[in-house]
Amino acid sequence: MKKKIRDPLVKRIPRELLGDWRKYLIVSLFLILVIGFVSGMYVANESMVTAANTGKEKYKLEDGHFELTEKADDALLSAVCSGEKADIKAFYTDEARSELDEKFEEEFKGEFVREFDAQFADEFDTTFESQIRESLASQGLKEKEIASMLPEAVKQAKQSGDYQIAYDEAYNEAYPKAYDEAYRTAYDEAWQEILTEIDEKYAEAQEKYKLDDPDFKPVPVDVYENFYRNEKEDNNNDGKADGTVRVFAKTDDINLACLMDGRFPEADNEIAIDRMHADNAGVKVGDSVTVGSESFNVVGLIAYVNYSTLHEKNTDFMFDALKFNVAMVTEDGFDRLESTVHYVYAWNYKNEAADENAEKKLADNFLPALLTQTVVYGNELTDYLPVYANQAVHFAADDMGGDMAIGGVILDILIVIIAFIFAVTISNTITKESKTIGTLRASGYTKGELIRHYLMMPVIVTLFAAAAGNVLGYTVFKNVVVSMYYNSYSLPAYETIWNPDAFIKTTLIPLALMFLVNLAIIVKKMQHTPLEFLRGDLKKSKRKKVVRLPEWKFFSRFRMRIILQNIPNYLILFFGIFFIMIMLSMAVGMPNTLDYYKENAADKMFARYQYVLRSWEDEDGNAVITECDGAEPFCMSSLQRKSETFSEEISVYGISENSRYLSIDDLNSLDEDEVYISDSFRDKYSVSVGDTVTLEEKYENKRYRFKVAGFYEKSMSISVFMPIGNFRTAFDLEKDEFSGYLSDKEITDIDEENIATVITERDITKMCDQLDHSMGSYMQYFQVLCILLSAVMIYLLTKIIIEKNANAISMTKILGYENREIADLYLRSTTMILIIEDAVTVVLGSFVMKKAWTVVMSEYSGWFTFQISPVGYAKMFLFVLIGYLVVMAFDFARIKKIPMDEALKNAE
Amino acid sequence: MMKNAEKSFLEIADLKKAFGSGDTRQEVLRGLSFSVEKGEFCVLLGPSGSGKSTLLNIIGGIDSADSGYISINGDKLEDLGEKRLTQYRRKHLGYVFQLYNLIGNLNVRENIEVGAYLSDDPLDIDELLHTLGLYEHQYKLPNQLSGGQQQRVSIGRAIVKNPDILLCDEPTGALDYTTSKEILKLIGDINEKYKSTVIMVTHNEAIKGMADHIVKLRDGKVRRNEHNDHKIPAAELEW
Repeated sequence: MKKKIRDPLVKRIPRELLGDWRKYLIVSLFLILVIGFVSGMYVANESMVTAANTGKEKYKLEDGHFELTEKADDALLSAVCSGEKADIKAFYTDEARSELDEKFEEEFKGEFVREFDAQFADEFDTTFESQIRESLASQGLKEKEIASMLPEAVKQAKQSGDYQIAYDEAYNEAYPKAYDEAYRTAYDEAWQEILTEIDEKYAEAQEKYKLDDPDFKPVPVDVYENFYRNEKEDNNNDGKADGTVRVFAKTDDINLACLMDGRFPEADNEIAIDRMHADNAGVKVGDSVTVGSESFNVVGLIAYVNYSTLHEKNTDFMFDALKFNVAMVTEDGFDRLESTVHYVYAWNYKNEAADENAEKKLADNFLPALLTQTVVYGNELTDYLPVYANQAVHFAADDMGGDMAIGGVILDILIVIIAFIFAVTISNTITKESKTIGTLRASGYTKGELIRHYLMMPVIVTLFAAAAGNVLGYTVFKNVVVSMYYNSYSLPAYETIWNPDAFIKTTLIPLALMFLVNLAIIVKKMQHTPLEFLRGDLKKSKRKKVVRLPEWKFFSRFRMRIILQNIPNYLILFFGIFFIMIMLSMAVGMPNTLDYYKENAADKMFARYQYVLRSWEDEDGNAVITECDGAEPFCMSSLQRKSETFSEEISVYGISENSRYLSIDDLNSLDEDEVYISDSFRDKYSVSVGDTVTLEEKYENKRYRFKVAGFYEKSMSISVFMPIGNFRTAFDLEKDEFSGYLSDKEITDIDEENIATVITERDITKMCDQLDHSMGSYMQYFQVLCILLSAVMIYLLTKIIIEKNANAISMTKILGYENREIADLYLRSTTMILIIEDAVTVVLGSFVMKKAWTVVMSEYSGWFTFQISPVGYAKMFLFVLIGYLVVMAFDFARIKKIPMDEALKNAE
Repeated sequence: MMKNAEKSFLEIADLKKAFGSGDTRQEVLRGLSFSVEKGEFCVLLGPSGSGKSTLLNIIGGIDSADSGYISINGDKLEDLGEKRLTQYRRKHLGYVFQLYNLIGNLNVRENIEVGAYLSDDPLDIDELLHTLGLYEHQYKLPNQLSGGQQQRVSIGRAIVKNPDILLCDEPTGALDYTTSKEILKLIGDINEKYKSTVIMVTHNEAIKGMADHIVKLRDGKVRRNEHNDHKIPAAELEW
């Protein structure tokens, strides 16, 4: 039996590749770069996330931490470790009993003696007088005589001392008995009154601390000291503070660090600092830095397991690896420092949680136990952060996860666009080869065989690009992505791991997308009968009406015909440019936005300094005051706006009457429940005047409802403003109590120990600086990539338009048209459409980007509006146009190359 | 497929076909009936619009009749679904058109392989190339060949799978006199050598001289249906 001949159509593939190598080279390079980058991103991310996850155990990551105002004693720590809730009622009762016992007797005695003496004297005088009356009567005196003699007889008895003797005897006999009886009664009454108060207080606490939660189960934990000091860092020793360094003492118990370079500190003048920050600050092993007022030698660069991103506060929108640092010193080194110690305790659950839901449940149960124990032991909880909510631990992994998701989506969209371009090219090829296809079909080729044949090219190109892209992904691009992340995050060392997900997302899915899009279009195209193919009759509507055009000049009508003929291509071009424009909006808008906020940060601060005090009274109970000119007391509290998906911290301000820092005209006339909110609050949560906003205490089950009376524009944070009096009422503060001072000048006369935090312009600009540092330079590359992308897409689609019209172009040449005139006909129509599409997609792309930005921001703390400057819009428009102008030069050359016999060769 | 050994190899019975509807309705075939024997060289003659190409397309299974039927070896085409029709074309038919419809980026040999691929038992390609006079040109691309050579390739592509029926639609319509005669000779030789039934559509009356069977059509009807007992070689044809 003869050997079955292999499908000879396969031989067309390499020839077609060679015949149109420029197109396939561009498409392949484009796919290789995109697939390679996304593959590199998947491989790098997965490897780094795996390293980070492995590191959690290796470096003893906490399950959470809390901060107390005072150092906890052993009894409190032991109680906290038990995970049991304290018996708040017993605590209230014991506290009240001892207070009653301490104060009651003294208060009771004074009042009792006053009342008893007065009452006894009156009663004794009456009794004494009646005894004298009886004595006179026994002497036989008549009633009238007794009445006249009685006053004198009483007077004589008192003067003789008999009265006093009798008085004293009677007093001494009556007093103890009366005292005991009255004391018991009064004590019981007071105690009953207290018990009623305790019941009320306990009911309140029950709600506040969720004491009656039937699902509560004690969560035993191990607690470790993880104290730190926030010190000023001067990393070039020039005497000026460059930022803040959070210094921890070296420990083997919890939250260890991965050593990236050098060694750990061993002497009290040695320090190991964060590798990321060191890179940014230009500090190397062997340098010295000033921390507080002490000098330290940098002996190591580290990555703390609980600071993969350098978030100074958990509520910060963005980490700050430029001006915030974490460092490790020895115990003795820690003692050399002077700033206030933050009494932070890290905990690990004795029984590990199975998943995040279980972890959340454990944290929910641990919080009331911790709260009640700190109350019972006379301490105060100032911070509570389970690890699942800790941005410094999760931000990097979440961000990498988000990047992977976005990278995957961008890849998919680009593949679909390329797939459509491929499909349109193939569709045109099928039209061009319709008679041959008709012959093959008439000869017995099945639809399936021909569909498979036309599918081979896009599948082979994608397969090749995916293979090459993955090779580059595991080698070159992985390193690019790793360096990008190491430029932002303090991640531990990693090992490259094989990533099946990357293979699926960058090989199988692109292949499937390319296959399906082309399959759909080729199958549709192949539905024609062999006879229709033979006749070249592949139009959908056989009697398509010709669009009547106005009486324009010939060239205009010609161009309009070209436009009408190529509507599907222009539509694909539109969607392609639209998608690229969304990316370009990001590439152009992000630097615009950062510049805007950096330039306007000062205008968005209502005071240059916000000093938040630890307590408004010092140790002696005197109000903490300042002589600083213009300093104005204010109240502030942090509440939360909670939703099912995201809880955001909101700063609630109480503002002094006639404040020099916040000028809100009718602030003082606001009702108790009325507030102003910042425009950021309004924009982020779409709040209108008259709406009610509900805010909750962070750790306690207490809600506040405020009615929005207006908006305050000069604040970047998500804030609420109310008169200071209303604030004190709402938060049960004392009459003159306040939280700190607003000031445009630096306050120097308040003891550092009394200051909890200072909010300055840096708190706004640090986010912009970090974003600029992490993404700024990449945005420039991203812009170039977008220009290239748009140019490649325009190139491929205009190529199709010209090839489709090759016969007509050839014929116009035969008729005597010059290349310039032909270009004027064919290129100008595309130029007109492109300019319109360019302009429309600038508007649409930036609109979609702004909407997408809103969605992204809703999952982060804080808010800033995405900004694109007028120059930015012009850049977006011009970038695509420049790409097109380059392509137009190629197109013109292509038109010039079309030979005159093209039309003759293809004429029937 | 029903088999009926008593009937002719190709039987066309009361075949009707119209295009369009209402005022634009045009009857192309108006009840054609004739039969062709296996191995015959049958020429369908007629002026433009007589329905000969439509008839050829219906025989080829790429068009369908409104009524009547065509049976080959007793199998009625109208009973076949699209898949089986494709298989019918694949196994039994070879097609040659006026325009050669070759695949531009495949060389001569490969274009013939395109036909060979469809057959479980194709002819020897080298031998066929010799028969076609294309052996020396086998690695040339179609655009390096003359019209006549291209038509030879298309005939080779059709015949390589050794079909029962070779359908030729004006195969010399685009060729000059000399080349046309060469092509006709080739088709005649193939008919002789491979015993294929050849049905050729042409408007060239002269070609009937080389046919076994001549069917003349006009206005969709068979006007003459005759057998030629005095066949002459293609080389002796004159027009």
